[in-house]
Amino acid sequence: MESTRVPRADLFDPAALSALGHFEIVARWIVDGFLSGLHRSPRKGFSVEFADFRPYQPGDDLRYVDWKIAARADRWVVKQYEEETNLRATIILDVSRSMDWRSASEEPRLTKRAYAEQLTAALALLLLRQRDAVGLIRFDDAVRTSISPRARSGQWRRLVAALAEPGNGRASDLAAALGQAARLVTRRGMVILVSDLLVDVDAVMPAMRGLRAAGHDVNVLHVMDPAERDFTLAGEARYTDPESELDVPAAAADVRAAYRTTVDNVIAEWKERLGALGAGYEVILTDQPYAIPLRLAFGARERRS
Amino acid sequence: MSFLSPLFLMLGAAVGVPLLLHLMRRNIATRVDFPAARYLLRAEAEHSRSLRLRNLLLMLLRVLLVVALTLAAARPFLPGLGVGHGPTAVAIVLDNSISTTAVVGGSPVFDRLRDATRQLISASTPEDRLWLITSDGRVRGGSRDALLAEVARVAPAEGAGDLATALARAASTVQGSTLPARIVAVATDGQRTSWIGAARVASSLALLVPSGNPPSNRAVLSAAAEPGRWTPRGSLVARVETRDSVGYRIVIGDRTLSRGATGRGEPIVLRASPPERGWQAGRVELEPDDFPADDARHFALWIGPAPAVTADASAGTFAATAVSTLIADGRAAAGANIRLASADAVASLPALITPPAEPVRLGAANRELERLGVPWRFGSVQRNAVVARGGRLDNVAVTERYQLVRAGVATGDTLATAGGEPWVVAGPGYVLIGSRLDPAATQLPVRAPFVPWLADVLAVRLAAPTGDVGAPIAALPGRPIRLPAGAETLESSSGSRRSVTAEMMDAPEERGVWFVLRGGRRVGAVVVNAPPEESVLERWRAPALAATLGGPLARSASTNVGWVSDTFAAGATRPAGTPLLVLALLLIAAEALAVRTSRPTVA
Repeated sequence: MESTRVPRADLFDPAALSALGHFEIVARWIVDGFLSGLHRSPRKGFSVEFADFRPYQPGDDLRYVDWKIAARADRWVVKQYEEETNLRATIILDVSRSMDWRSASEEPRLTKRAYAEQLTAALALLLLRQRDAVGLIRFDDAVRTSISPRARSGQWRRLVAALAEPGNGRASDLAAALGQAARLVTRRGMVILVSDLLVDVDAVMPAMRGLRAAGHDVNVLHVMDPAERDFTLAGEARYTDPESELDVPAAAADVRAAYRTTVDNVIAEWKERLGALGAGYEVILTDQPYAIPLRLAFGARERRS
Repeated sequence: MSFLSPLFLMLGAAVGVPLLLHLMRRNIATRVDFPAARYLLRAEAEHSRSLRLRNLLLMLLRVLLVVALTLAAARPFLPGLGVGHGPTAVAIVLDNSISTTAVVGGSPVFDRLRDATRQLISASTPEDRLWLITSDGRVRGGSRDALLAEVARVAPAEGAGDLATALARAASTVQGSTLPARIVAVATDGQRTSWIGAARVASSLALLVPSGNPPSNRAVLSAAAEPGRWTPRGSLVARVETRDSVGYRIVIGDRTLSRGATGRGEPIVLRASPPERGWQAGRVELEPDDFPADDARHFALWIGPAPAVTADASAGTFAATAVSTLIADGRAAAGANIRLASADAVASLPALITPPAEPVRLGAANRELERLGVPWRFGSVQRNAVVARGGRLDNVAVTERYQLVRAGVATGDTLATAGGEPWVVAGPGYVLIGSRLDPAATQLPVRAPFVPWLADVLAVRLAAPTGDVGAPIAALPGRPIRLPAGAETLESSSGSRRSVTAEMMDAPEERGVWFVLRGGRRVGAVVVNAPPEESVLERWRAPALAATLGGPLARSASTNVGWVSDTFAAGATRPAGTPLLVLALLLIAAEALAVRTSRPTVA
């Protein structure tokens, strides 16, 4: 049987993918591509319920062929099952002004916020397709959006609508957002934080510790522009933080090596302190395909299941 | 340190650029949004020490780079860098005066000087600029090979040359060069008389005086026939420089006239009445020694019969007495060929003509002069006391004289003046004197030189064939001489000829007697001899001569190697452009390394 290989959208360049359509549609492509890339179907196991039939396709497991229908109607169908879920996931999205930035480069590049929103949409859709309850909290200097986790069919629309709302507050009150998440998710669940983490780590850790104490599985996706990671900017300038107005004059070539060392130290510090709490932590660069953060989040979900 | 293109040093102002950038860093006007500025601030705080050191290092590297490039562009020359020598302008004065033909240590000094010059030229580089100046002052330039060929062509001169002029030309030649090192290199035998009058040069100077003492020299310092025209009897007087007894030979034409021996301070005097007639070449020879150039000295003389003279009564008693004396001495004969008479009584030429005894006869005298074709006339009488000037007649008192006035275009010579005006003039076939030969008019008849002067006048001016020069012309090789009007050719005693191009011309370089030909007839002779001072081989001490010619910083050497070393050591600064460019490349590499790979210490 001839197989048709369909390009996987989750492996596309994020900026190129965003140019193809509204992020709701793009999110579907990403999730479809991601799911088709999984080697094993998620719809099997002991804790599943019958959901539907579909025509048999070569390669399908013969265990799920409905032999009664085959005998009666001479039509081969396989039974499809839904997995029961009790996972309640909350995605906390940073929409502060520092997220609304991208570095100039030859290749088109998304802002950190655009990347994070597309990732959040794809992640929510992926979880919803797994029949998980998904909630969303958007924050900047205050909590801008708070949607409780639901697994209903209209949840996806609500989440997409919320992602289109404005943000760009001058600061990032991450501790407040984490506290709001703790209040929204009363049952043990999964909390996914998508942020550039340009906050004081000491101010955030108590809230993190509270989430973990409540039994939540916490995963942090640290979104960085490649220029923030390696300081690939050039020339002498006054480098200004749009949130805090912090102003640092520097010659990029002179300070680049020291900057990289410092960022390495910052990442190591986040990783160490979150790891000590049992929270996951990954650095996501805005020029990476969405498959990478999706796989990280999905892996965490699988472990949770 | 010196620079070939010093204007490029102005680029050094660019050294302020990295300094300015370093100091102005905190005043950057460009603003760039960068959310992770806090990491930048933290990086600077954590690595402030290493960043500051690194910035300082970069600033230093960039300043040094600008300095190195600026210096390289200015094409500097520094002592002690590189190998060889820096571009040097060298004017080589090669002493080829006749004294360098003296043999010292088995070979002529000139050969050693020429070898040293070859060695110096061979040691030059294509960046050097060389000139060769010989003792005649001739300047030759060109490539190394061309100069080597010129050196091969240089031969010892027949005379002393003019080393003072040669040295001055060498100095002005190198001063005109744009090369950073300029030096005059002199190779000489150090003869003391050669450098008299040489001015100190402003350039550096390297002097070579080969080691060894000058040879003991014997020389004929002078040789002259007395008088220049023998009629036919005369004397030859030669002066010889010798420390001991030496044999000599006197030659006239191809015939040995006399042989003998002479000692220190003894002049050679030969009285003779040779049978030859006309202009003759002669020489006085000594036994050869280590300086053969002055072992012979040439002379010329005219030999002919004694002039037949008659003194008219109108010339005065003193003239008649003098003529009688000459006849008695055999230097004149009684006859009417030459007349001594007053102008109003002279009937024919040749004649020695005096003014008339009576002023009333002045008109008749002038008419007679006009008739004879003498281009002078007697003017007004002058009775102020003056002294005469001119040859043997110097300081003769003159108390009464007629002014001698030219009639038309007068040709001939003024033999003496009185009161600044012509007093005794001569021309073809006549000698005219402005005063009567009487002590009331002039002291000449009663002065000792009168008879010899009269003998010379008779022999040289009046007895000689029409147009004959009379006395031989003494000349130095290559030096200017004045030839008689109408001279067409110079002919050596060996028969070689040279055309005469002008009355004033350079004497031949070849020593000897050169007869002056006019219409194919010998009318005079040019005697070319080296100057007698060339026979004095006494030398300067090399350091003393170097100090005299070049000041206290001048260098002197007695060996070729030392001289070559001194010459190029004066320009020991070497081009530093390439080392500076290498340094600049190293600085660029170091700067790139510091920018790209240097990682600050993690705090």
